[in-house]
Amino acid sequence: MRQTIQWTIILGITGFLLGGCATKTTNIDMNNDRGEAVMGLDYRDFQGAAQDMIESLISSGAVSKKDGGRYVLAVSRVVNDTMQHIDTGQLVKKIRVGLLRSGKVVVTTAVGANGAEDKMAMKTRKELRGNEEFDQKTVAGKGRMIAPDLSLSGKILQRNIRVDNSTQRVEYYFQMSLTDIKTGLAFWEDERVIGKRGSNKSVAW
Amino acid sequence: MKLIGLTILAIFILAGCSKSVEPDSSIVKIIDRCDSGDINIIDIKGLKKADGFMKAQVIGESSSGSYQVLEYRVVWLDKDGFKIESILSKWNVIPAYANQPFHINAISPSTTAKTFRLYIKRDKEVICDKQYSGQ
Repeated sequence: MRQTIQWTIILGITGFLLGGCATKTTNIDMNNDRGEAVMGLDYRDFQGAAQDMIESLISSGAVSKKDGGRYVLAVSRVVNDTMQHIDTGQLVKKIRVGLLRSGKVVVTTAVGANGAEDKMAMKTRKELRGNEEFDQKTVAGKGRMIAPDLSLSGKILQRNIRVDNSTQRVEYYFQMSLTDIKTGLAFWEDERVIGKRGSNKSVAW
Repeated sequence: MKLIGLTILAIFILAGCSKSVEPDSSIVKIIDRCDSGDINIIDIKGLKKADGFMKAQVIGESSSGSYQVLEYRVVWLDKDGFKIESILSKWNVIPAYANQPFHINAISPSTTAKTFRLYIKRDKEVICDKQYSGQ
């Protein structure tokens, strides 16, 4: 009996102490995350890529209109050619926000690679036009939308390279282009490469 | 008695198991000059471009005998001295080779930028904090 109690206490204390070994959940300091890198793409990679792309775009002068006005930008397709499930909109959104804040670009949500991005805005225009329930003066008339001047497209590529039996290298390529819709000429293009080296056991997808 | 001894021993051993994922404190010290031992800033300049954006160039020098990785950020300020929020003000990595100069180039996130403040960090410590005076 005494031995049973003793073992119960020992096991109880051990369990209690081992509970402290579990990784605690904490909020990440998004501005200065010193956490270890991962083989896959994480928010730091998207942030770095977006930052470089915005800097490159602004420095190139491709988004600066000669008369000082704003360009209208349509977001085309950004292809995910990696083994990961990436919403490429994560990257594009950061670039869009940066360009919008630059004061040189306005993004249209009425035109996109897969139709209008804001489908409700387009639908509303059509449905409300001629509808007697609505004051027609407040309904967007025909021929009021602005066509885009520029189109932003890109691709994210992944290459896995085996270094040795225990190590692999993964390279990610962020490629982006800005095309002048009128002429079809690419006014700006850039690429950012992110390389990661780690265990073969790490899965980069 | 034996049991108490065992328990205390277990506490000491298992205390080492606790794994903290607390982020390191980003800034522990700020100095008001661009001169900290082996890293020196030798030139800082800004230029307002014709399209309204401001570009910055900083030339630094490492007098250290070894390669080191530094981090920098440029905070852009408007005419009233208010910070312009932007993804372009995040920390970036810059390599400083042994006994070599290094260059930092940056572009303002908007045309409202009038000046900028540069921070250089090594490990957890800001070793350089300098504002471009506009001259």
